[in-house]
Amino acid sequence: MGRMIKVENVYKSFGTLEVLKNINLEVQQGEVLCIIGPSGSGKSTLLRCLNHLEVITSGKIMIENELIAEKIDGKSQFKISHKKVSEICTELGMVFQRFNLFPHMTVIQNIIEAPVTVKKVPKDEAISYGMELLKMVGLEDKKDEYPTRLSGGQQQRVAIARALAMRPKIMLFDEPTSALDPELVGEVLEVMKKLARDGMTMIVVTHEMGFAREVGTRVIFMDKGEISEEGSPEEIFTNPKNERTRAFLQKVL
Amino acid sequence: MDLVISKLPHLLEGSVVTLQLTVVAVIFGMILGLFLALGRLSKNIVIDKICWFYIWLFRGTPLIMQIFFFYYGLPLIFGNAMSFSAMTNAYIALSLNSAAYLAEIIRAAIQSIDKGQMEAAKALGMSYGQAMRRIIVPQSYRRLIPPVGNEVIALLKDSALVSTIGMAELLRNTTQIVNSTGNALIYLPSAALYLLMTSLFTFIFEKLEKKYSVYE
Repeated sequence: MGRMIKVENVYKSFGTLEVLKNINLEVQQGEVLCIIGPSGSGKSTLLRCLNHLEVITSGKIMIENELIAEKIDGKSQFKISHKKVSEICTELGMVFQRFNLFPHMTVIQNIIEAPVTVKKVPKDEAISYGMELLKMVGLEDKKDEYPTRLSGGQQQRVAIARALAMRPKIMLFDEPTSALDPELVGEVLEVMKKLARDGMTMIVVTHEMGFAREVGTRVIFMDKGEISEEGSPEEIFTNPKNERTRAFLQKVL
Repeated sequence: MDLVISKLPHLLEGSVVTLQLTVVAVIFGMILGLFLALGRLSKNIVIDKICWFYIWLFRGTPLIMQIFFFYYGLPLIFGNAMSFSAMTNAYIALSLNSAAYLAEIIRAAIQSIDKGQMEAAKALGMSYGQAMRRIIVPQSYRRLIPPVGNEVIALLKDSALVSTIGMAELLRNTTQIVNSTGNALIYLPSAALYLLMTSLFTFIFEKLEKKYSVYE
């Protein structure tokens, strides 16, 4: 088991608003880390800092022993090219709350787009791997549909396949079921469970406490930009030490 | 009626020139307009301001004045090296002018695309250029079509202004016939030809809109 992600003393502010305060975190290979907490607690921002959709204000982020950000008071402490950053970031697959599929492309086109344009994978190779992934998420018969013709749950499963097509080593999920009708949540969680069983390293920001409890190997509770409690699902859900964790869980469980 | 029939070839010749002017100006206007729009969206302030200035200048002054400036003004300032035929001048003036309008249309269309699209592209490792070329700009086509259709029709009619520097397009040919025959009714078939051409473009743009709506 190697270390996949290391976050050290990370701060992030939007103007005067401090969204992340002194975040320290390590993720090991094969872990399924679930991040829970009230909205506005910085969960999503933390995830977005990992793959450079947001830029940290200070601190250090390492992906697989490669430093991708080190900042003090907003000033970068070393030089790194855009190319290098996006290269490292392809190790991270991301699934968004609102799917963000490309509406002008069919399902299979969505999936092969990045492998073909970014990694220069031959098209037929990308398609055959794409079909494998579609089979895995149970949507091979939808390959030529446009995303708007699919249900939310189907769209999110395509989005997962799209992220997997880049063969990432880590998958980030940003509230993947929050925009779904309740009856569609299960099919998406099912795919995520399958991934976890196959040993994928995952970081999941979620409101699905059942999922965190059942699939998570570790749970982090965030509040007001800080990690206020961390532990096994067992500890967090049955015996939370922190007062705020207890109050939060009481409300959502 | 006989007059119309006998003069029809002359009117049609003018119509062809009008169509050529419009199509060429739109093509060059779209290309330059795309670069201007991307410039306006650039994080580089100098590029942004240069493009802003261009659009401000060409939208803020009368087209006929721009045509005169290119035709009469440039040779006065730069000598004969900058003296072009009426046709070249007409193409340049109309292209540069429509680029300013098209740039703003393109910029608005690009900015109307959901921010999540750029994020998804970046999360998949695409560069800004790749994301623009493959994801953002293609999605803006559908939203571009109605306002660009408007602009093309406006341009087709505005192209009549180059008759003032002697381009033998539809309006100028019509006026010639009126002057030589003294019969002002010849304006009627000429107007019908303009309507025919604008209808043609309306039809084309309706078809395009349908074609690009498949995924919505």
